[in-house]
Amino acid sequence: MTTVEIFVGIFEGFRVTATVTALGLLYAVPFALVFGVAQYLTKGMARLAITAVIEFWRSSAVIILLFVFYYVLPVIDIQLPAITVAAMVLGLNAGGYGSQAVRAGLQSLDRGQFEAAAALGLPRRHILALIELPQALTRMAPTFINQLIQLIKGTALVSLVTLTDMTFRAKEIAESEYNPVGVYTSLLLAYFVICYPVTVFGRWVEQRIGGRKGLTNEF
Amino acid sequence: MNSDGQPMRQTAPWPVEISQHHSAHPPDRTVAVEAAALNKWFGSFHALKDINLAVPQGSRIVICGPSGSGKSTLIRCANGLETFQGGTIRIGGAELTGDEKQLQKIRRTVGMVFQQFNLFPHLTVMANCTLALRRVLGKSRSEAVGIAVHYLERVRIPEQAHKYPAQLSGGQQQRVAIARALCMNPRIMLFDEPTSSLDPEMVKEVLDVMIDLAADGMTMLCVTHEMGFAREAADQVVFMDQGRIVETASPATFFAAPSQERTRLFLNKMLR
Repeated sequence: MTTVEIFVGIFEGFRVTATVTALGLLYAVPFALVFGVAQYLTKGMARLAITAVIEFWRSSAVIILLFVFYYVLPVIDIQLPAITVAAMVLGLNAGGYGSQAVRAGLQSLDRGQFEAAAALGLPRRHILALIELPQALTRMAPTFINQLIQLIKGTALVSLVTLTDMTFRAKEIAESEYNPVGVYTSLLLAYFVICYPVTVFGRWVEQRIGGRKGLTNEF
Repeated sequence: MNSDGQPMRQTAPWPVEISQHHSAHPPDRTVAVEAAALNKWFGSFHALKDINLAVPQGSRIVICGPSGSGKSTLIRCANGLETFQGGTIRIGGAELTGDEKQLQKIRRTVGMVFQQFNLFPHLTVMANCTLALRRVLGKSRSEAVGIAVHYLERVRIPEQAHKYPAQLSGGQQQRVAIARALCMNPRIMLFDEPTSSLDPEMVKEVLDVMIDLAADGMTMLCVTHEMGFAREAADQVVFMDQGRIVETASPATFFAAPSQERTRLFLNKMLR
């Protein structure tokens, strides 16, 4: 096999890598927003419960979570498709990190922003949606791009729960061709080809935000 | 809107819901803000000690005093930005209960201007002014814009409406903040050291706007070190020290013949 053939062979797994990333985002983004905001707004027991959920997803090893949800749950008759397990585990792990970015972004805002909005008689939910979140999310955009790159790279682990992603294809080819050097070098390159454009996009977003302070003249 | 396209300059009545909280005492609508036996602690620090203060509708009261005297804390209690542990505060006759819904209703009638302006940096000047008109009072876009333009003209910066706060000078930002509060057509305006973070050459433009407001009969409660403003616009000066009201007097008496030694000491330092 030529290097090009190896590369094409690896990219046969691209569809799975892309699918897990996209589905993972569907878990990650809502989780990060909902739990980040909830942790910011709540106190006492409620906050403790929310923090516990976040920490479960954030502080567990992704590979172990994959094994638990794919191989252990069937013991109690819960059989989830591999792609669901992969997207959920990777997505919620990334979402756990993302939620901390959301919370930190909200906490970093000047207290005066909340006070000025409250002094105008705005209800709490409007203050959050119109004043706090737009400013916090702007600050958090670079972190979110980082999380997205982490998520893409993290999908390499799904090859361990039977999914034919790029890493799985590479292992297959490496075994049949006895060419680990060529294959795994190509695999490295394959992830770089996907992640680098995202990095460039992230830099563009950052500059755009840094370039102009304001975001909207509407709401 | 009246015939020449300007919003009516009519002061809204106190919301009925606010006054209904007090069936035992009929609400006194002629007093905009009234603090009675007000006490506040920050932890073990006794920040406000038995404060009694009435701000009659139409009056202009200046609170001054050394830093840490509790004057900002007092004014922040008057729209519920600070909680307090003893005593009562009545806004337009209604006692503050700490109920979130009641507080929202009351805050619509109480405008506040902060030392740090606190404009919303992600919104244009126009959006800063129209936000609460649309979201709190439910005005249409065109109606809200009409009101905002009126008050931006009043603070003399209608031409900055499309800009973002960061593009304005400190004095301009503070005038936008005043316009933003005025848009809600408040019954009283609270000023918390509105000129303290301004460069000296910008203080006058803000004070001029405030003096205009006072001349128009706006009820004002103002924490400030600007003794010139107190002399010109206030009908009462309140001097605070260490969480207490030391002295309350008309500006003429306050500056010429204060009754308390502590006030004289303060004035000597302030007026040099």
